[in-house]
Amino acid sequence: MPEAQTIETIQSQLCDEIRVLMSLKPGAVSPDTNLAALGIDSLRFVSLLIVIEQKFGVSLMKVGLKKEDMQSVRTLAAAIWAGRTA
Amino acid sequence: MSLSLPYFRSRRYLSGVDWLMGAMDHLAIRTTGIGSLSQAILEVEGKIPEAALRSALAQIADRFPLVHGRVARDCFNLAPFWKVPRNARSRPLSLQVIDLPMNAEADAETALNAHVNEPLGSRYEHLRFLLVHLGDARSRLGMVFDHKLLDAFGAESFLRLIDQVWQGKLAEISPRVKTTEPPQLDHWLRRFRSGKTLNERLFKLAEREIAALRMPAPGTPGKVRFLHEKLTPQETERVRLRAGEECGMPILLPSTAARAVLAMKQAIPNAPLPGTQHLLFTSASTRSPGQEWEGLFFNQLSFLLFSVTEAMPESPGPLAVLLRDEFFDQMRQGIPAALQDATMLMRICPHWLGSRLMKLIFGGRLCSLYFACLRETGFPQKTFMGMPAIDLIHTPTAFAPPGLNLCMTYFGDHFNLVLSYLDGALQDSEAREMMGRFKSMLIL
Repeated sequence: MPEAQTIETIQSQLCDEIRVLMSLKPGAVSPDTNLAALGIDSLRFVSLLIVIEQKFGVSLMKVGLKKEDMQSVRTLAAAIWAGRTA
Repeated sequence: MSLSLPYFRSRRYLSGVDWLMGAMDHLAIRTTGIGSLSQAILEVEGKIPEAALRSALAQIADRFPLVHGRVARDCFNLAPFWKVPRNARSRPLSLQVIDLPMNAEADAETALNAHVNEPLGSRYEHLRFLLVHLGDARSRLGMVFDHKLLDAFGAESFLRLIDQVWQGKLAEISPRVKTTEPPQLDHWLRRFRSGKTLNERLFKLAEREIAALRMPAPGTPGKVRFLHEKLTPQETERVRLRAGEECGMPILLPSTAARAVLAMKQAIPNAPLPGTQHLLFTSASTRSPGQEWEGLFFNQLSFLLFSVTEAMPESPGPLAVLLRDEFFDQMRQGIPAALQDATMLMRICPHWLGSRLMKLIFGGRLCSLYFACLRETGFPQKTFMGMPAIDLIHTPTAFAPPGLNLCMTYFGDHFNLVLSYLDGALQDSEAREMMGRFKSMLIL
């Protein structure tokens, strides 16, 4: 991951990845989008974690994912940021 | 390499998974005489009016004549497609009505179980309805569906469609339903590579013998029996929370699949066809949220295979963690996508040949157990034709092989568990034991 990447850019890229994964229209996912409300099933959730590994170099499965990390795109981005700097 | 052959834009060409379901249906028919059917049973408070139901079904059959289609093949590009007969619009969908007294629950169950055990009338029949009135207090609507036409989620959406048609919304919904699909006769190189990925996985799994039930001799008339358990909302919440705790993330599949395999291993310690692994075959929906009408018909699925060997833990929590890792590995290797891609190539085979090839890989056995855990529902509403909807359960005829099917579906605030098994392949006492162990491992 480039050094210049900030938590904001992670949020923005995460919004895009989730939108593509869920086949949603542009702009349908924002940092405050509730992830549970999107109806992510097991298959898509695991796909998302794999995309996060590939794109941000953070294995959330190894770092440990907490329930509160899954509240919104913003909290998930924060978990990625924390995992990256850990 | 992208070489696209000509095709009819008005046709619904089969996807690779649709073709696979057709091959499995062929295998099931050869083994037991019953195809890969399932029944979605909707229970409502009150008496569903027969005339209004018939009218809604007639409108749907008229608007979607593909409900009377069959598999055919293009002679110039050899792609299988769903052929709609010329007189399909004039054919009604079969609806039988039984009036029973209010407390005749057992009779209702017997009638519904017999309904799903009856093979489809012809290759043009894919849906069949049985309406059971229990006095004026309750009704059960059983919809037997062919897996070639609908998957489980699609079946729930179809029941929802009946309600929407009753509300006069057919014109609003029908333009959203996708009834055509291109044959996707391109990206050959990618599909060959997917085939290689899938074959590597399958041949690795085939190195170990699969523990399985013994199937009846081909042509033996089969009958499927069912056990149903309903979890309370509290138990359902417990299943969800514990699955999250065990896996460290909000996914249900590894935790529930671990319990399903352990229940089988413990209830049938001496499998009639012994092996060194239990192979669990599970489906996963690939339907995008909010696209329930677009993907109403046919199969929006892929599959995952989980191998549980002798060396793996006998305790659900640690086994769930291993299955979670296996889930990740399969997703990293792109197995579900590879299966969708590779089966596109398999479509060249007729179903009878495909079913034989499938059996060849695992020496005549296909898997130990078919398992499905559906958290999403295609029937998210609380009423049906103006009456409160009480429950919605699925009774699938077991794919044969394996002849054993464990299915978890969600409705309202609870999970329904249904164990389907081929009569004779499993004793009733073993089935009760397996269901009891599965339920207790889920809720304890």
